[in-house]
Amino acid sequence: MSAIDRNRFPEPGAIRPFEFPPVARRRISNGLDLRVARMTRLPVVSLNLYVDAGESALDTARAGLAVLTGDALEGGTAHHSGVELAEALEGIGATLGVGTGWEGTSVSLTCLADRIDEALRLLAEAALEPSFPAEEVERARDQQLAEIRRRRMDPGTLAGDEAARRYYREESPYARPLGGTERSVAPVGRESVRGFAEAFYRPVHGGLVVTGDVDIGEVESLAEECFAGWEGAPPPLREISVEPRTRERRLWVVDRPDAVQSEVRIGHVGAARSSEHFFALTVLNTVLGGAFTSRLNLNLRERNGFTYGVRSRFSFRRRPGPFQVSTAVGSDVTADAVREAIHEIEALIAEGPTEEEVAAARDFVAGVFPLRLETTGQVASRLAELIVYGLPDDYYHRYRDRVRAVSVDDAAEAGRTYIRPGELQVVVVGDARTVAPALERLDLGPVEVVEGSGT
Amino acid sequence: MSLHVPIRRHTLDNGLRVVLSRDTTVPVVAVNLWYGVGSRNEPPGRTGFAHLFEHMMFQGSEHVPKNRHFELVERAGGSVNATTWFDRTNYFETVPSHHLELALWLESDRMGWMLPAMDQDKLDNQRDVVKNERRQRYDNQPYGDWDERLHALVYPESHPYHHSVIGSMDDLDRATLDDVADFFRTFYVPNNAVLTLCGDFDEDRALELVARYFSEIPSRGPIPDIPGDAEVDPVIGRTVREHVRSSVPLPRVIMAARIPTFADPSFPVAEVTAAVLGTGKASRLYRRLVRERKVATDVVTYAFPLLTGASMLFLWATGYPGSEPQELEDALAGELNALARAGDDEVRRAVTLTETHLVRSIERVGDRADLLSMFALYFDEPERLNEEIDRLRAVTVADVRSFSARYFGPDNRAVLTYEPEVAT
Repeated sequence: MSAIDRNRFPEPGAIRPFEFPPVARRRISNGLDLRVARMTRLPVVSLNLYVDAGESALDTARAGLAVLTGDALEGGTAHHSGVELAEALEGIGATLGVGTGWEGTSVSLTCLADRIDEALRLLAEAALEPSFPAEEVERARDQQLAEIRRRRMDPGTLAGDEAARRYYREESPYARPLGGTERSVAPVGRESVRGFAEAFYRPVHGGLVVTGDVDIGEVESLAEECFAGWEGAPPPLREISVEPRTRERRLWVVDRPDAVQSEVRIGHVGAARSSEHFFALTVLNTVLGGAFTSRLNLNLRERNGFTYGVRSRFSFRRRPGPFQVSTAVGSDVTADAVREAIHEIEALIAEGPTEEEVAAARDFVAGVFPLRLETTGQVASRLAELIVYGLPDDYYHRYRDRVRAVSVDDAAEAGRTYIRPGELQVVVVGDARTVAPALERLDLGPVEVVEGSGT
Repeated sequence: MSLHVPIRRHTLDNGLRVVLSRDTTVPVVAVNLWYGVGSRNEPPGRTGFAHLFEHMMFQGSEHVPKNRHFELVERAGGSVNATTWFDRTNYFETVPSHHLELALWLESDRMGWMLPAMDQDKLDNQRDVVKNERRQRYDNQPYGDWDERLHALVYPESHPYHHSVIGSMDDLDRATLDDVADFFRTFYVPNNAVLTLCGDFDEDRALELVARYFSEIPSRGPIPDIPGDAEVDPVIGRTVREHVRSSVPLPRVIMAARIPTFADPSFPVAEVTAAVLGTGKASRLYRRLVRERKVATDVVTYAFPLLTGASMLFLWATGYPGSEPQELEDALAGELNALARAGDDEVRRAVTLTETHLVRSIERVGDRADLLSMFALYFDEPERLNEEIDRLRAVTVADVRSFSARYFGPDNRAVLTYEPEVAT
């Protein structure tokens, strides 16, 4: 056994290149955008059908309808009852996942590759021919109302929802919870759901992504067969307000008497997915709060023990989603934690990140990229994003080069452009009696205590 | 289908078991260590210590200053974490494959040279972090303490699963630097660990690196017996209950039974039975309670893969605003009784879902390495991963019926009820 010098940091070996899986792109006859990536690690396949049917399309009075429509797909089809549909899917080992976001709805599943025929047929049937039985729609609605109630009583989700209301104006969809409110969801019935699907579940601007151990030609002809006769485009995108609700820094305490911890959100309106500063912001945010060794986490967790963890992120959407710091901290140290978080944001924007920090962040973001592309489901989600945000076909093939091209000046400029410390809204869900006086003493801005709307 | 994950095994002279599983489809490699120590090894008054110790393992070692472990792995483009559970603690990195040596250096340094880096400030800091973890996941979270309460109901006070992994605040306060040193010397030894590498590497070169970094760490004496009384009756003996009024949004009833351990040949029956009950929307509980009767907004079932004395299977149903918990309890009990008439179709479907889940759970090299480490540590047989599908497929409807008759009666039942405290 050769003695080794443990003080010596091991040199990396020879780099093995990572290539994003090659993607075949076809347009099938009804206009649906088909993308197929062949991945052969295991005999599995992921299917992801995307339609441009998101919550942003809805005004406040109809908030939550896109989510409800997606959830109600499991209620049954023209050919199968809800139970029969579930039995058929689960009989081939697949569970249908329906995810609705601000931009659109994804209907997806993963199963063994030799079951792709049946899987794609069932997925297409569920998405294209839903029958929306009245009682199934009502059940989905009542479950959604229960979920809205749950969000009001879970301090973490309550904090996020309350913060969004402080960042955006009331008329903006981004000001409200994705799943809507009791007022907007309670009156929804079968006709609204059917009308929404009829209008928005359309092939144009949508897409089908297939990833896994498949033959591209076979997928193409299968897709032609499954989606034949499905036609049309959804209504054009609606203009939405993304103006900040205020330009004044303010602090809000949502009272949860005797809470042992405070859920904290600090943020404001951020940047759109199409921002030319996307990569610079991603790097900058890594320095601030996007990794374990980011400034916020090393301060609030590893130096001060205020929290189990803290993160910052930009929610890049078609229109600017929030920039936000999230953490949960002990009640007695809440004001200290808020002070430190704001201090870290201010210092980063005023002085900019260091060369060393930007280099480390670039290496991290570029390095972990392949780690997040191991499964067919992960690659399918990334490819669906190309469709949602209209990104170029070679986007992921060039992703790491673009990360590595971010300079310290790019990162600093992006920070100054998109993070405005003087406009941050601070939302604390916690014990107002303990937290509010200490927040007042920070003198960061006006503090207002609002009723906990937990019940 | 069947699994053919390649597996090569090796044991170092110091007792460290090494498992290699190559897959070069993505240029990443997972380095995964399981130590045979968990919350079951904690004596009374020391609950939560195994997990607090896991946090201390990230506070540096003799040649790696505080934060450097994270800095180096993140800079390399890797991910890193650890978890503590009842029967074990695991540590893992996934890194681009050319950084394999870095991960081995970091893991070996803390296996062999952790203690020189320990000090009171680090312990106090991580104690605060862990207390905040407890607050965030248990105390400030609706239903957050459910698994803590459930374990206390299902296992007697003398049993090592009676207390939770996260432990109590008071016990965390008692932890000292001496405890850290004792725990390290007792449990963090190569002869109590498994190291798995999975992903893109050259096997001979990897084994050489493993030997270079780990073989000088000395093995130490036998691992002490688990404190308390690991032996436990196979059934609870009656129905035990706890009723909690707290600030939860909706009533929830959680029902649990003692079942044979993960090592028992009948464990696949438990897994398939849990899937018959609650995996997917064609499952019994979803179909009956959520879809048809509309008494529940969600249902969950799970068979814990635990090793010591007896394991546990639970099912839960969350109601609607104003639901009567008794109605939920009766509904769950009714479905357990109805398993006496379980059908072949649903059992086959549950097997198919469970095996597809297994295949999906080895898509990522990190998850695959974790399963290999588990089978190696628990059964000294990582090859079991490749036999899991056969074990699941062998489960018959008769197995499900007799298992249910044996374990799901009122003589083996814990019922934990959450009820909203505010009138709604």
